[in-house]
Amino acid sequence: MTPIDYLQFVLAPQVVNGLALGVAVVLVALGLTIIFGMLDVINMSHGEFYAIGAYAALALGAAGIGFWFLLVLVPVLMIPLGMAAERLLIRPVFDTKDRHVTTLLVTFGLGLIVEDVLKIVFGANTQRPPTPIPGATEILGIILPNYRLFLILVGAAIVLGVAFVVYKTRLGAMVRAAAFDRNMAASLGVPVSLVYAGTFAFGVSLAGLAGVLLAPIYSVFPTMGRDFILLAFTVVIVGGMGSIWGAVVAGLLLTQVQALASLVISPVWTDPIVFGTMVAFLVFRPQGLFGRLGHA
Amino acid sequence: MHDRLTQSMRASHLLALLFVLAALGLAALGAATGDTFYLRLGTEALIFAGLALSVDLLLGYSGALSLGQALYFGIGAYVSALTLMKLPSFWLAMGAAFLATLIASVIGGLIANRVRGVYFALITFGLAQVMAKVVYNTRELGASDGMIGIPVIEIGFGPFTVSAGSPVGFFMIVLAVIMGLYALTAYLLDTPFGRVLTALKANEKRVPFLGYSVWRARMAAYVLAGVIAGLSGALYPMLRGFVSPELMFFATSGNAVISVVLGGVGTLIGAIYGSVLLVILKSIIGSWTEHHLIVIGLLFMLCVMFLPKGLVGVVRPAIETWLSRRRLAPVPKAAPASLPAIVAETARTSR
Repeated sequence: MTPIDYLQFVLAPQVVNGLALGVAVVLVALGLTIIFGMLDVINMSHGEFYAIGAYAALALGAAGIGFWFLLVLVPVLMIPLGMAAERLLIRPVFDTKDRHVTTLLVTFGLGLIVEDVLKIVFGANTQRPPTPIPGATEILGIILPNYRLFLILVGAAIVLGVAFVVYKTRLGAMVRAAAFDRNMAASLGVPVSLVYAGTFAFGVSLAGLAGVLLAPIYSVFPTMGRDFILLAFTVVIVGGMGSIWGAVVAGLLLTQVQALASLVISPVWTDPIVFGTMVAFLVFRPQGLFGRLGHA
Repeated sequence: MHDRLTQSMRASHLLALLFVLAALGLAALGAATGDTFYLRLGTEALIFAGLALSVDLLLGYSGALSLGQALYFGIGAYVSALTLMKLPSFWLAMGAAFLATLIASVIGGLIANRVRGVYFALITFGLAQVMAKVVYNTRELGASDGMIGIPVIEIGFGPFTVSAGSPVGFFMIVLAVIMGLYALTAYLLDTPFGRVLTALKANEKRVPFLGYSVWRARMAAYVLAGVIAGLSGALYPMLRGFVSPELMFFATSGNAVISVVLGGVGTLIGAIYGSVLLVILKSIIGSWTEHHLIVIGLLFMLCVMFLPKGLVGVVRPAIETWLSRRRLAPVPKAAPASLPAIVAETARTSR
């Protein structure tokens, strides 16, 4: 194989696959890092909300609702779910002395329950919705599946949209103010408890959206959240807890490490290599790429 | 006059005594009926109780939630299995597991103790996941199938020997080891070292002002917890005759955390009760439905939200009151104030 062939048929598709996975991980990590950065809450059940989104897409898609409508419908349906979870589980323990540990434990319990409920309702088998955009495009002699290209574009649009809302709009400013100083924000007229519930629901809804987008590529099964959350947490840690740009950079970086390691070394060793990277990161830069250690 | 910690530890010791009596009762019942299933299950519950004990030592006393404590449990189990296959000696296996987990937890502690709080939880999670995957992919360690065919050993105590194949005999040995680990931990927590840990949890920023090294105390607690998990894990292959990468996976660490929360965080004996409770719950619910996670997850969440001290937290205050009432006319002696009291005091006065 000539170097050009290697580049064209092996390396480039792998890089694009890694990029699609990177966008997927960033989408899951985005909600996680927003919930952490704004609410100071660890959501261990985030992966299960991602799974709920994927199953909702599967079930509603089978009921005849089109993919494009699902992209809007499922995230909207996730909002009351997220609001309820925040009201029933997070708020009662929000003011405990060790909020991080308590919320982590509560949401860990929630994750266990959701996983089993999904198993009961949908069965333990792996399912896969049809790809909404079939076919492939040839770019510079590299053949790329259309859906992956779509995923990369949509993922980039979502991340930019979220970052715009959080950093540039009045709503985002209110959320950041409530996160920074609850009492001060409340006295300035910010409806703090609504903002908290809304932020949590927004993070959950992003997880659901990721579920809809990723189901056609990565299949749907009850433990899908648990498998993905590991990588998402790694991304959030390496990027710096609560940082949107950190999640983006770390997500793309780590999935490239993963894609290239599975190509150069062996697919079975990718997880140790990715987590090894995370450990190395934490040893040398515990606060992550863009994070502040004081926050956790 | 006793301070709160001593008081509550006394109550825990009484609960420990009750636990041992109940376990001996089960052993006697098992021996009389010739039952093997429940004794084996009880032995396994005790082994996992050791892991829960190590999680509680970290979470309940130094305030550090480890989501990867199964790492040391698994290392102990694998090292013990490898040793037993070369040379079927109980003491050698335990010694090797001790050494291996000592070294592993020093390395792990050097990494994990650089960070606090959530980062600590997630890095321990990551460390365990890395090692689990490494074991999962190593053919020499049996890869995903694990290792089977670990010989049934004879455990020698001077002139006596007990076979690990004997349900009652091995149950008693595991009971002795786990309760020994409990006693050791309880003893160490009652020494100045334990008071430094409690003080750390109360107010970490003030501890250095009293001349104690935060890092050293954390490290000591981490290594101690690692070794406890490792020694418990070392018993596993003796019971089941096999080891598998599942012992290191998150589910194992998660179960230990569930046990601790059900039993009561920061009570030590609660971890042991919680572990047994979890096994009982799983087998009872498991006989109705395979979806036992819903019930366990629900109980777990309710415990976190409404019973932060778990089951032991419900019964222990009553025992404490009973114990202090039973002690007639306490000797009026000015006890030296404990370190946590001093820390709390300085915190109050300087605020």
